[in-house]
Amino acid sequence: MSGYVGELRRGGGPSVAFWGMAMLVASEATLFGTFIGSYYYLRFGTPHWPPTGTPEPRVVVPLILAGVLATTSLPMWLAARAVRRGGLWAARFLLVWALVVQVGYLVYEVHDYAHQLHRSVPQDNAYSSIYYTLLGADHVHVAVGIVLVVWLLWKLLGGLTTYRRRAVQVVAFYWHAVNVLTLIVIGVLLSATL
Amino acid sequence: MATLVYEERLERMWQPRPGVLGWVMTTDHKRIGLLYFWTTLVLFAAGGAEALAIRTQLIQPNEHVVGPATYDELFTLHGVTMIFFFIIPMTTGAFGNYLLPLMIGARDMAFPRLNALSYWVFLGSGLFIYTSLFLGMAPNAGWFDYVPLASAKFDPGHAIDFYCLGIIFNGVASSLTAANFIVTILKLRAPGMSFNRMPLFCFAFLAASWGLLFALPSLSADTIFLFLDRNVGTHFFDVAKGGSTLLWQHLFWIFGHPEVYILIVPAFGIATEIIPAFTQRRVVAFPLVAVAELLVVFIGFGVWAHHMFATGMPTVTVIFFAAATAVVVIPSTIQVFAWCMTFVTGNARFKTPLLFIAGFIFMFVAGGLTGIMFLAVPFDQQVTDTYFVVAHFHYIIFGAAVFPIFGGMYFWFPKVTGKLYFELPGQISFWIIFLGTNLLFFPMHIVGLEGMPRRNYTYPSGLGWGTDNLAETIGSYITTVGIVVLLVNLLVSYFRGPPAGPDPWHGATLEWTIPSPPPDYNFAVIPKVSSAYANWDEEDREEDRRKLAEGIMVLDEGHEQPVSSPVDGWWAEVAKMPHDSPWPILLALAMSIVFILLLLHLWMGTAFALAGIVLVLLGWHGEEPEEAEA
Repeated sequence: MSGYVGELRRGGGPSVAFWGMAMLVASEATLFGTFIGSYYYLRFGTPHWPPTGTPEPRVVVPLILAGVLATTSLPMWLAARAVRRGGLWAARFLLVWALVVQVGYLVYEVHDYAHQLHRSVPQDNAYSSIYYTLLGADHVHVAVGIVLVVWLLWKLLGGLTTYRRRAVQVVAFYWHAVNVLTLIVIGVLLSATL
Repeated sequence: MATLVYEERLERMWQPRPGVLGWVMTTDHKRIGLLYFWTTLVLFAAGGAEALAIRTQLIQPNEHVVGPATYDELFTLHGVTMIFFFIIPMTTGAFGNYLLPLMIGARDMAFPRLNALSYWVFLGSGLFIYTSLFLGMAPNAGWFDYVPLASAKFDPGHAIDFYCLGIIFNGVASSLTAANFIVTILKLRAPGMSFNRMPLFCFAFLAASWGLLFALPSLSADTIFLFLDRNVGTHFFDVAKGGSTLLWQHLFWIFGHPEVYILIVPAFGIATEIIPAFTQRRVVAFPLVAVAELLVVFIGFGVWAHHMFATGMPTVTVIFFAAATAVVVIPSTIQVFAWCMTFVTGNARFKTPLLFIAGFIFMFVAGGLTGIMFLAVPFDQQVTDTYFVVAHFHYIIFGAAVFPIFGGMYFWFPKVTGKLYFELPGQISFWIIFLGTNLLFFPMHIVGLEGMPRRNYTYPSGLGWGTDNLAETIGSYITTVGIVVLLVNLLVSYFRGPPAGPDPWHGATLEWTIPSPPPDYNFAVIPKVSSAYANWDEEDREEDRRKLAEGIMVLDEGHEQPVSSPVDGWWAEVAKMPHDSPWPILLALAMSIVFILLLLHLWMGTAFALAGIVLVLLGWHGEEPEEAEA
């Protein structure tokens, strides 16, 4: 009835959903950019960084953990590929794989965050304030990502649709962004030991 | 005739629910635009009332209409209201929402429910900030809220917490709108509308939206830091503990200067639509103007520290930012010359909307010239915090942002209501407002150069400032009268105006090709576009009518909307758009609860409210589009 004239072309670039996520990522990345800018602004106005009496951040464990979290980009990427070819079970498996690592990361990090609060608190000085704010903001983004993956798995129980396929691709994109963000944030925080 | 069958079919499919529920649950960009319009108008009245109270207080030396504490609240709320709750939501929320999809030949925004959410969040933030006034805790440290004045030590109580949370809350609404505009412009343009065929209005809104998206996070970070400092005990701005007061100013102005362009660039967009319609001529140097609109915002991100020349920054920093600021002159001037040349080479009919645009160009050039003066650093340090600065930015913000808003209100009134406004009262309202604002703001230059400081609730006699201040106050009353004439004219026209027809001005863009007011589905046929002045391409419009008769490109099998490629406008797919939904207002409600609980320090409650947000989001995403593909 409503004939589409022959102007329809496949492959008009990323979907509307993808662009929506790109906007979110751009906005969040700018927020973190501002946090990191503030970190260095405060640092270069302070003679000792971290200030004497405040413990330096640990180096090895956070680096390894950030690296482990970054590996989840692989299953997320594969899941986004799998749904394009209709691989429902592959997508479910890959998402669970990613979820296990992500949850493990967050559980350890939250535990560690609470542990660090015994040694120093955000109320100590400007260094502690920005340290805990930056790290906490990153953890929040990981937590949101985990909620998204759980939601995806729940949605995929009902099979695959274009909407859900795009949801997987979009959440995968979010996770790539969060992984890069985490590496940068950890790098910035560890720069205090240099 | 077959044409009517298709239109009735589309009407049945796209019509909203009847009654109040149809407004509460609406996802229609036109309804959301109107909601924004009425809400911002009320807030404009509030901001205007604050301005009148300020001017009345300053009518003569040693006046005591309001005390110093109330005066602080008045100028703070005036600034916050006019910037965050009037101009941004009026240009993006009202004009952008209503017109942008119409100009690109779309049936709605890319994310209709997100659009509704942004309105309800905006409304929530407006109510939130104004609650503070009724509780006697209105923000009182200026709209830029400098620390340490705004720190817990010097400003205890909830006033600044209202500011911090209200600004973050409002920023969410603006970010959502900005993201929605960007994706709508990139993906929902009618097939065939490549970037070079997009109206300049859309370029302006694209530029402003990028600006909002990248500028607001800086303000959010800043207000988050301040909220933590005040309520959790962190030390971001506490010099004694390694913090920095200048950090507040840097972050604030990294947002604050792009903000200025975010305020005026949409107004440029309005101007670039009104000028072609009333000169019947394409805008001179179209590509240059389009690039200039984008460049103004882009360069606007690199000039923030010129608000801080008096803070003792290193000389080299000061000089860098002075030079960077000078660069903004180039894209601004390109546009001014393009507008003027379009006037000169076209056949100008000075109807009310064009008068407002002419007034806008005059005010913008005047405000721009005083802006250039600030580049001279010693001069800037001399006049910082005087009324000279107040004069400058009111010429820019009232002259260059609000004048086009008024012009746009007259220009699109026939499109939105289907009625013509009355021309003579319209022109009278322009002249009253034009004379009123110049009488209001020009003497501020003089008293500013004579050293009258901003933000003081009164001034002593014997300094020779009395006459100028009296003139300013009279000017503020005259301006108010003009605005009342404008609004009454539009109100009376709405009930008594003659019918306008689809295209009273022979306008250039796609919104003039459809009936007034536009039908719920906007376009019966997805329009063919071969230039940025689509309504002047007679053959394309003829082709659209032919297609409608044959049912081609009608897309009437649901809420259908073509999606295109970002640059070339190739048709990529047909998307199903969501219909009325209760979730946006519910989500905005849940977010309001979060902000209220944060204000009251109920941290556990906040956690529960956040869980509530997740639940609402689950409900939101429970509605999936129907799909053929399995």
